[in-house]
Amino acid sequence: MSLWVDKYRPTSLNKLSYHTEQAAQLKRLVQNGDFPHLLVFGPSGAGKKTRITCLLRELYGAGVEKLRIEHHNFTTPSKKKIEITTIASNYHIEVCPSDAGVQDRVVVQELIKMVAQAQQLDSSTQREFKVVLLTEVDRLTKDAQHALRRTMEKYVTTCRLILCCESTSKVIPAIRSRCLGVRVPAPSNQQICSILQTVCKKEGLTLPPELANRIADKSGRNLRRAILMLEACKVQQYPFRPDQQVVEADWEVFLRETANAIVSQQSPRRLLEVRGRLYELLTHCIPPDVIIRGLLTELIDSCDGQLKAEVTQWAAYYEHRLQLGSKSIYHLEAFVAKFMSIYKKFLDEGMAAMML
Amino acid sequence: MDIRRFFGAAPGATKTKPVQKTASSAKEKGGVKKSSQTKRKAAVIYDSDSDEEVPPVKQQKTAAAKSAKPNKTEVKSPPSRKQFDPKPVLKPTSAADFFGAASPTHRVSRTTVVAKKRSGHDAGKANDVDSEADKELHDDEAFMETLAELDKSRKKSATMSISPDNKKKENGTHEKKPTKTRVDQTSPKKTREKSPTSSASPKKASPQKSKYFDKTEDQKMKKKIKLESQDKDEAKPDQPKKAKKPSPVKTKTEKTPSPKKSPAKDSNQDAEKKPARGAYRAYLTREGPRALGTKEIPQGEENCLGGLTFVLTGILESMERHEAKELVERYGGKVTSSVSKRTSYVVVGRDAGESKLDKVSQLGLKTLDEDGLLELVKTLPGKPYDLPPEATSKSKKSPPKKSPNKPEPAATTRKPVASSSRVESPKKPAASLTTTDSPEPSLLWVDKYKPQTTKAIIGQQGDRSNVKKLLKWLQAWPKHHSGRQVKEDGSGFRAALLSGPPGVGKTTAATLCCQELGFTYIELNASDTRSKRSLQEEVSEALTTRSIVGFQKQEDAGTMRQAVIMDEVDGMAGNEDRGGIAELINLIKHTKVPIVCMCNDRSHQKMRSLVNYCFDLRFQRPRVEQIRAAMMSMAFKEGLKIPPPALNQIIEATNHDVRQVIHQLYMWSVQDKALTFDQAKEASKQAQKDIKQGPFEVTRKVFSSGEDTARMTIMDKSDLFFNDYSMMPLFVQENYPNVLPNAARNNMKKQLSLLSQTADSICDGDLVDKLIRSRQSWGLLPTQAIYASVLPGEYMRGHLSGMISFPGWLGQFSKQNRLRRLLQELHMHMHLRTSCTKKSLQEDYLDPLRRRILNLLVTQETEGVPEAVELLSAYDLMREDYDGMLELTEFKGRPNLAEKVNSKVKSAFTRAYNKEAHMQPYSTSAAPKKKRGGAANSMDMEDGGEGGALEESDEEKEDPKLDPMIKMKKPTAAKGKSDSEKGKGRGKGRGKKSS
Repeated sequence: MSLWVDKYRPTSLNKLSYHTEQAAQLKRLVQNGDFPHLLVFGPSGAGKKTRITCLLRELYGAGVEKLRIEHHNFTTPSKKKIEITTIASNYHIEVCPSDAGVQDRVVVQELIKMVAQAQQLDSSTQREFKVVLLTEVDRLTKDAQHALRRTMEKYVTTCRLILCCESTSKVIPAIRSRCLGVRVPAPSNQQICSILQTVCKKEGLTLPPELANRIADKSGRNLRRAILMLEACKVQQYPFRPDQQVVEADWEVFLRETANAIVSQQSPRRLLEVRGRLYELLTHCIPPDVIIRGLLTELIDSCDGQLKAEVTQWAAYYEHRLQLGSKSIYHLEAFVAKFMSIYKKFLDEGMAAMML
Repeated sequence: MDIRRFFGAAPGATKTKPVQKTASSAKEKGGVKKSSQTKRKAAVIYDSDSDEEVPPVKQQKTAAAKSAKPNKTEVKSPPSRKQFDPKPVLKPTSAADFFGAASPTHRVSRTTVVAKKRSGHDAGKANDVDSEADKELHDDEAFMETLAELDKSRKKSATMSISPDNKKKENGTHEKKPTKTRVDQTSPKKTREKSPTSSASPKKASPQKSKYFDKTEDQKMKKKIKLESQDKDEAKPDQPKKAKKPSPVKTKTEKTPSPKKSPAKDSNQDAEKKPARGAYRAYLTREGPRALGTKEIPQGEENCLGGLTFVLTGILESMERHEAKELVERYGGKVTSSVSKRTSYVVVGRDAGESKLDKVSQLGLKTLDEDGLLELVKTLPGKPYDLPPEATSKSKKSPPKKSPNKPEPAATTRKPVASSSRVESPKKPAASLTTTDSPEPSLLWVDKYKPQTTKAIIGQQGDRSNVKKLLKWLQAWPKHHSGRQVKEDGSGFRAALLSGPPGVGKTTAATLCCQELGFTYIELNASDTRSKRSLQEEVSEALTTRSIVGFQKQEDAGTMRQAVIMDEVDGMAGNEDRGGIAELINLIKHTKVPIVCMCNDRSHQKMRSLVNYCFDLRFQRPRVEQIRAAMMSMAFKEGLKIPPPALNQIIEATNHDVRQVIHQLYMWSVQDKALTFDQAKEASKQAQKDIKQGPFEVTRKVFSSGEDTARMTIMDKSDLFFNDYSMMPLFVQENYPNVLPNAARNNMKKQLSLLSQTADSICDGDLVDKLIRSRQSWGLLPTQAIYASVLPGEYMRGHLSGMISFPGWLGQFSKQNRLRRLLQELHMHMHLRTSCTKKSLQEDYLDPLRRRILNLLVTQETEGVPEAVELLSAYDLMREDYDGMLELTEFKGRPNLAEKVNSKVKSAFTRAYNKEAHMQPYSTSAAPKKKRGGAANSMDMEDGGEGGALEESDEEKEDPKLDPMIKMKKPTAAKGKSDSEKGKGRGKGRGKKSS
C-alpha cells in the first residue's frame, strides 16, 4: 500500500516504458557479465535510479532487491566522527557521500576502498565484482572527486562504480572520462501521459486525457512528480474531471505567492517581507536554485519583452553567484532587490509614457 | 601639600586671582631664597628628596630648620604622612647645592599666601571655607599658576633684575615671619648666582630637601605640636584625593563658570529635539555650511581669545561647527553649548536655535556672525596663557639655558619634586631622587612615577575608596582570622577581590596597602604557572613559613604580617592553570594570611565561583580631572609641555587608563618636549585607544550620516567592520533595508536602486567570505570589509529608522540545519521504498504523502486511521516521522491542513500506530544500532507474538517492552491487515516471511 509512484515502478529493463532502445542497449551491455564504470545523468524524475536498479537486477538477479540499511562510522583526520547510512544488498552498495558534507572525501576513501578491496569469495556463482552506486555525485566536493579517480582505476577488477547525478557539469573531467556516460533524458509529455493512463488503468480508474496533459505540463517532464500529482488529484477528487485543478505542493504555491508579492509592490518594507518568505523556503530545504528559477518563471510573466531578457539575465547572474557564495539568502535577496529596482523603473517609465 | 590648601582658599575668589598669581609667584621666588637661606645656615645637610618623606631616624637639626619650623608645622603636614621607602640616601651636600634646589619655595609661598589672606587682600577669603572639592580644584590651578609664575620670575632673575614682586612678597612674608624676610632679601641674588656655580648635581640637591623636611618634622614632634600634626594627618588623606579629582576646571573654566561641556551640549540638543519630531528631523537633515572653506582663517595671536567664552549656534557660512570650535579653542577661548551670563560672545549662524537667541536677547549678550568671529581672531591682541601654556613656554626656553647655566636644570628638577609632593604626593621618593635632571633612562615613566603611598593612587583618596576599604580590611584581617578562630560574621572574608579595567591601579593599590601595613607579600601573576598543583606547592609553602625579614625586625608578630597577592586571576586559564581557581578557593577557605585577588572582569564566567569567597572591591576608572592633575605635574616634572585641553583629549582617548596616558606622554616626550594644541590633538587621535563597541552601535555607525561619521576615513569605516568580522556582515545585511538613505529622499526609484546596489555589494562580500573560509586566505578580510560594510554604508548612508535587529540569519540557519537533519532522517527511513534523492523527496514526495494521510484523517476521521497507519508503515516511517513530515511541508501563511485533523482522530492515530509493531529496516534512536540481523531477529519475535506468544520471546534476551523496535501488540482485527501489509512491505526488503 504505497504510493503509486513506488507501486508501479518497473523492476526490469524489459518493462521500462520509454527510452526503450537505451534499455535494450543497457541490457546488451551487461549481458556478457561485465561493464565499465557508468555515469548516469539526467534530470530529476527521468528514471535514472529505476534504470540502475533494473540494470543491477539484470546483472545479479532478484537477490539484488534484498536491501538493508547499514550505518557506517568514520573518523576524519581531524577526529570528527561522521556517520553514513548506506543501502546495500549482497551485490551492491548504495552510498550518498555528500551526506557527509564537506567530509565526503573521507567517505569516498574509506568506504569505497573497503568495499572494493574485499574480494568475492565465490566468484563462480556470482559476478567477480561488486557495484558501488554513488548518488548525488554532482554534490561531491572536488576533493572527494579527486579521491575517487584513483580508486576507480585501482579497484576496477573488484568493483564497478555507477555514478548517478543530475548534471555532469559539476563532475570533474577526469571522472567523466573514466566512465561510460548514460544520459537519461526526461520523458516527453506524451510519454508521461501514456504512463499516467497505464497507472490509472491498473488502479481501475479512468483518467481524462485533458487532465493527464495538464498534469504532465505541470510536472515539468518529471515523471515522479507527475504520478504523485495524479495521486494527489485522485485524493482530492474522484472521479476525475477534465477541468480539475491540479494539486501543487505547498512550497510551490508559497513561492508563487512570494513572486506575486514582489510584483505587487516594490519597497524596502516589501523587500524585508520577501526576505522572510525566502528564509522560510530555504529553511524548508528548498534549494536556492529552485527558488530562483521559480521566482523567475513567475516574475517574467509580468514583464514585457525586453524586460524579460534583462530579468532572466540577472536571474542567471545571481544564480551563478549563489553557487559561488555561501549564504544563499544574500543572493536571492539581491536578485529580488535588483528586480524591484528594474521593475520600478520600468513601471515609472510606463507611467510617463502613458502620460505623454 | 599645605600650599594647596592655602591656594585653594585664594583662588576661590575669582576676581582677585590675577593679583594673587603674581603675588604668589613673587612669593615663591622669595620663598626659594628664604629657604635656601635657611639651608645655607646648615653647612651640611643630609636630605632625602620629597617633603613628604619623614625618615624617622634623622635627628639632625639645624638652625635653619628651626627657623622654618613655624611654617612647616602648618604647611608641612604632608611630611607626616608615612612614606615607605624610608631610606633616604644621606649625602653631604654643600650649602651651594641648596640654592640650586628650589623646593622650599612652595612652603614659603604658602606662608605668603596666608599672610596675604590675613592682610585682607582677598575679598574672597570667605571661600576658604569652601567645600573641599572646590578647594581642590583651585588648588590645582593655583599649583599650576605658581609653577608658571615661578618660571617667569626665574627668567627674570636670570637676567639679574630683581623683580619688584620679590620685594612685595617679602613684605607679605614679613608680616608673618620677620626672620625669614630678612633672609629673603639677601637671598634672591644669591640663589641665582650660586646655583650656576654649584656643581653639585641636582640629585644631591633633592636629597637635601627631604632631609630638611625630615628635620622639621622631627622638630615638630619634639615640640609636641601633636595636635596640629594630627590635624594635618587627618587632612592629608583628603587632600591628595581632592587635588587629583577636581582639577578639571582650569583658569579658563574659572572665568567662564559654565557647566561641563558635554552635558551642556546634550541638554542643548535635547532642547532642540523637543519642539517637534518634524523639527528634529529638519535639524538632522539641515544643510551643512554653504560656502565651506571659502573664507580664509586668519592667523591670530597666541591666546588672543583667552578668557572669552563663546556659544555657537546655527550653521556658519564657511565652517563646520567643529571647525569653529577648534578655532576658538586654539586661540584660548572656550566654547560652551548653552548661553549664560558669562558668555562673552554668541556666534550666530543660519537656522540658529530659537531658545538660544531668546536667551541672548534676555541677557543682552554680544552676538557675532562668522566674519565677526574671524575679525576677532585677527584683531585681538595675544595674551599670555594663564597657566599651562605658561609652563610650556618656560620649558621651551629652558633647554638652551640648561647647558650653560646650572640654575635651570636645578629649577626643573626642583619643581618636579614640589609638584609631586603636592599633587601626586605619592610619586616615588626614590624616583624623585633620581628624577633630578638625568632621569634614569631605563625607567619607564609608569614605574618612575608609580605611586609610593596609598594616598597617591589616583582616584583612591576618599575615605570610602576601595583602597581605604582594602586597608581596613587588611588591618582587621589578623583580628578576624587569627589562629583557629572561626571567622566572625560581618567582614569575615578571607580574601579580597579587586576588579576593574586595566590601568586604574589595582595592582598598585594592593602592593601599596600591603607595604603600608607592613605585610610582606607574595605576588603571583599570570606569568607564573598557577595550576592546582603549583598553587598547592608554592603558595601553601609560602604561607606556612616566616620571612627572615620579620625576624630581623624583631617583630614577633611578624608571622601574621604576610599576604598573598594573586594578580590577574582571570588569566588563570588553559591547561597550565587547570584547576587553579578551584585550588585558589580552597586556599582561601583555609588561608591564614590575607589573599588579595585581582581581575579585570568580575562577572566573567571563570570568576563566578571565586566571587563568593571574596570581599568585593570594584575599581572604577578615575575621572578625567583626577588623572589630569597627576599627569600635569608629571609632565611638568619631565619638562613636557602639554596644554590641559590636549591632555583631556588624551585621557579620554585612552578611555581613562592611567597607565596608557603615561605611556602616551612618554612617547611624546621622546619626540618633542613641547606639544602645541594642534599636535596634541593630532596625537591624541592616534592615541585613541580602541574602545570595544557592540555590534549594534557599530551597525548604526555604519549607516548613520551623523557628524562623526562624516569625518571618518575609509580606514575608519573599514575598522568598524573589524569590530567583529564574523558578525558585521550579518548585521549589515539584516538592517540595510531599514535605512532611509539621504541620497534618495522621497525617491522610491532611487532608493530601490540603492538597495539593489547595496545588496550586490553584500553579495560580493559573501563571495569574498567564501573564498576566505574555504581557502583560509584571511588576507582578503579587508576586501570583505569594503564589500560587506563600507560600501553598503556608503550607498545607504542616511537615517536608520527603528531598532537595529539582530541578524535573523543565525536563527534561520540553525532552523534550516534542524529541518535538514529531519529530512535526512526521513530520507533514510524511506530510502528502501523510494528511489529519490533528498531534494526530490522534499520537493515531490512529502507533500502528496502528507496530503494523502491528512485527507484520510480529515475526511474519514477514525475510519481512515488504519489506512493512514498502513501508509506510514509502508514507507517504514515512524510516528515521529509523521510530525517531522508535517513540519517540513508546512509553510507560514499557507493553510495548515494538519490543524483540521480532529484531536480525537489524532490520538486515535497515534494509538493505532503504537498498538502495532512496526518493523523498521533501520535502528531506532533508542535502541542500540542494529543492522539488518537485529531487525530480522525482532521480526521473528514479533511474528511469534502475533501467534499469541509475545511474552515468551525471552530467547532473544531482550525484553520486548523495553525494545522500542517492538511494540506490544494485541491480537486485533487489524492483525490480518497489518500482516498482509507487512508481507507486501517485506517483499523487497526481507526474505523472511513467517506466519
